[in-house]
Amino acid sequence: MVASRSGIMMVLIVAMVAISAIFFVFPEGINAQKEEKTFVTHSGGVVKTTGEILDPLYTSATVEFDPMEFLRDFNYGRVTQLSDGTTVREFTIIANDDEIMEVSPGIFYNVWTFNGTVPGPTIRATEGDIVRVKFINNGEKEHTIHFHGIHPAGMDGVFEPVGGNGGQFVYEFESGPVGVHPYHCHVMPLEEHIVHGLYGVFIVDPKEERPPADEMVMVLNGLDTDFDTENNFYAANTIPFYYQHHPIQINTDELIRVYVVNMVEFDPINNFHLHGNLYKYYPTGTDIVPSFYTDMITLSQTERGIMEFEYEYPGKYLFHAHKVEFSEKGWVGIFMVHENKNAVESEGYGT
Amino acid sequence: MELSNKSSKVKMIASGIIPFAFLVIMIAYIFGPGSDLLDLGIPLPEITMEKVDFVDSEIQVTVRNTGPMPVEVAMADINDRIQPAAVEPDRYLDRYETALVRIPFEWNEAEPYIIGITVEDGTRFEKEIEAAAPALEPTLELAVFFAIIGTYVGIIPVMIGLLWLPFIKKIKKSKYHFFLALTAGLLLFLGIDSIEEAIQVSDESLADSFNGTLLIATITILSFLGLHYTGEKLIKKSETSRLTKPVAIALMIAIGIGLHNFGEGLAIGAAVGLGSIAFSTFLIVGFALHNTTEGIAIASPMSREKTVIWKLAAMGMIAGAPAIFGAWVGGFVYSPFSSVIFLSIGAGAIFQVIMTILKWIRVEGDKNLSSAAVVSGFAIGMLIMYATSILV
Ligand SMILES: [Cu+2]
Repeated sequence: MVASRSGIMMVLIVAMVAISAIFFVFPEGINAQKEEKTFVTHSGGVVKTTGEILDPLYTSATVEFDPMEFLRDFNYGRVTQLSDGTTVREFTIIANDDEIMEVSPGIFYNVWTFNGTVPGPTIRATEGDIVRVKFINNGEKEHTIHFHGIHPAGMDGVFEPVGGNGGQFVYEFESGPVGVHPYHCHVMPLEEHIVHGLYGVFIVDPKEERPPADEMVMVLNGLDTDFDTENNFYAANTIPFYYQHHPIQINTDELIRVYVVNMVEFDPINNFHLHGNLYKYYPTGTDIVPSFYTDMITLSQTERGIMEFEYEYPGKYLFHAHKVEFSEKGWVGIFMVHENKNAVESEGYGT
Repeated sequence: MELSNKSSKVKMIASGIIPFAFLVIMIAYIFGPGSDLLDLGIPLPEITMEKVDFVDSEIQVTVRNTGPMPVEVAMADINDRIQPAAVEPDRYLDRYETALVRIPFEWNEAEPYIIGITVEDGTRFEKEIEAAAPALEPTLELAVFFAIIGTYVGIIPVMIGLLWLPFIKKIKKSKYHFFLALTAGLLLFLGIDSIEEAIQVSDESLADSFNGTLLIATITILSFLGLHYTGEKLIKKSETSRLTKPVAIALMIAIGIGLHNFGEGLAIGAAVGLGSIAFSTFLIVGFALHNTTEGIAIASPMSREKTVIWKLAAMGMIAGAPAIFGAWVGGFVYSPFSSVIFLSIGAGAIFQVIMTILKWIRVEGDKNLSSAAVVSGFAIGMLIMYATSILV
């Protein structure tokens, strides 16, 4: 029958279109067999794959900015003395805004930097020292440095924008008050300059030194890599999950002092929870007497403080944002506590 | 004489080639290497998550690079929480290439999930799944289940519609025209509905770079033209064969509706496969009601024929059975791309059928298609479909 023949033709045409569409949609069905790898998930499951592993947690990537080096790096400046005996500390800070940095394995982001890193250098002075910061702006946009603390109006880094491509300014003031303070660029639109990474930590030590300790600085920050005013990553010291797969090595019975500064934008709060321990907390570090003995503090934007603790038992201890979203997006780390060989007396559990 | 003849031939060839050469030069100038005329801004990476399968302790995402440049898949997350994952065959995707991202995750059935994929420049893309459901395995049981649903949606309603045949048979010519126009109205609504559905699928799951709306327009018109050509042949043949004109038209209508029902089956299969139980139930009820009217569409031209019951049954099968095949394809090998293609083919087929019916009415006597019977039939057909679409 002629009619049915034409009908069959039509069905065939449709079938051909359908089959080619399916091939278009599943082109990799023809791939050759490849070598199999395995990887272990959070929950311990084992996954076999012939492909690549995407894993910000377990892959150790070479990062341009080393959070481990930054952790204990304190910059005291070039020291000279005035005729009256006052110490002068000179620093040079160079701003840039064109660097692309791998911030998490495989993810590249345009960071704006002070001295090439996010955060910028941790600078440190003793209360009463003269701090002189030579600021050079090698970026394309205007930038400044606004220090938190006490200083004359003209040194505030707000109404004195420094032009790009080599603009300069010298910030000079007597350091104070005692504590841990952020510094950051204060050019409008402010949020943009901060979230791109133009910030750092300024520590003012009291004249009578704090007790000796294993000191470290942790800047809690976030990265909005797709510019939707929400952070895609969170971290202590920029690189998500870094201290989880590179645990921070510390000793039992040794005083640990952490200078914590919250620079997270977009989210109203951040926090810091320590496992297996509690810490003494000095808000802003301006007081010599701790305000809290806790394992959990909550920090709003640029809130900061000093944490002091000692571990009694060796082993692995987590620290992270108890705002779990942040920790599951990178703000999580591990203290690897070792038995202190130098400790005069270390008592075990139950003895 | 011969010489001038030759030279005029050369002239003719040259006059054909010269504009072509200019065209090549112009295109080379605009698109060629080193041309910055078309540097119209910064190209942005774009990926589309075409399919998400929930398998044992794992969520599998099929991603396609649908942007203007190669991308690297860098990270996966579930509900905005970063998860380790594997990407097969590798993380580098050229234009239109696909990869499978396997995210180990203990998902819970019927819960919603947002799947996120971040590419190398930090851009995150996401896809929302309303309710997680285990990926369908092509078991015999499920195939039978789809066949039953396809029968309920496709075959049975069309057969019920055909039962109006004796009634249509008894009426006068003007009333008959009314029913033919009614059929055209019903189908026009159905055609628009198919296109709307295709646009919806393309907006939700197909990348912009496919130019979804234009793809739909192109496929719809191509299927219209293809079927128009075949259909005319079929009707011409009907003059010299045992096949009569009304039967030929009814057959065309049945094939067009069959293609449309294939699209409907596809939608149902996909909805079941994607776990939207409420939505698939809605589709099943809605399509079943709609398809009764498709029976009328086939019955109308057949009513001028000495009806043989097996012919009628065959028409019903041609129109209804594709719903079963559609459900299989939709449930087992769903992809938004093929879904858009099938819906567009269906739309083209329906428009072709409308044209065939209108021509039939003109041949039957109403040259201007302006009689009260035709106009009101068309209008009422649209209204009936609109009303049923609101009801379900
Ligand atoms: Cu700035």
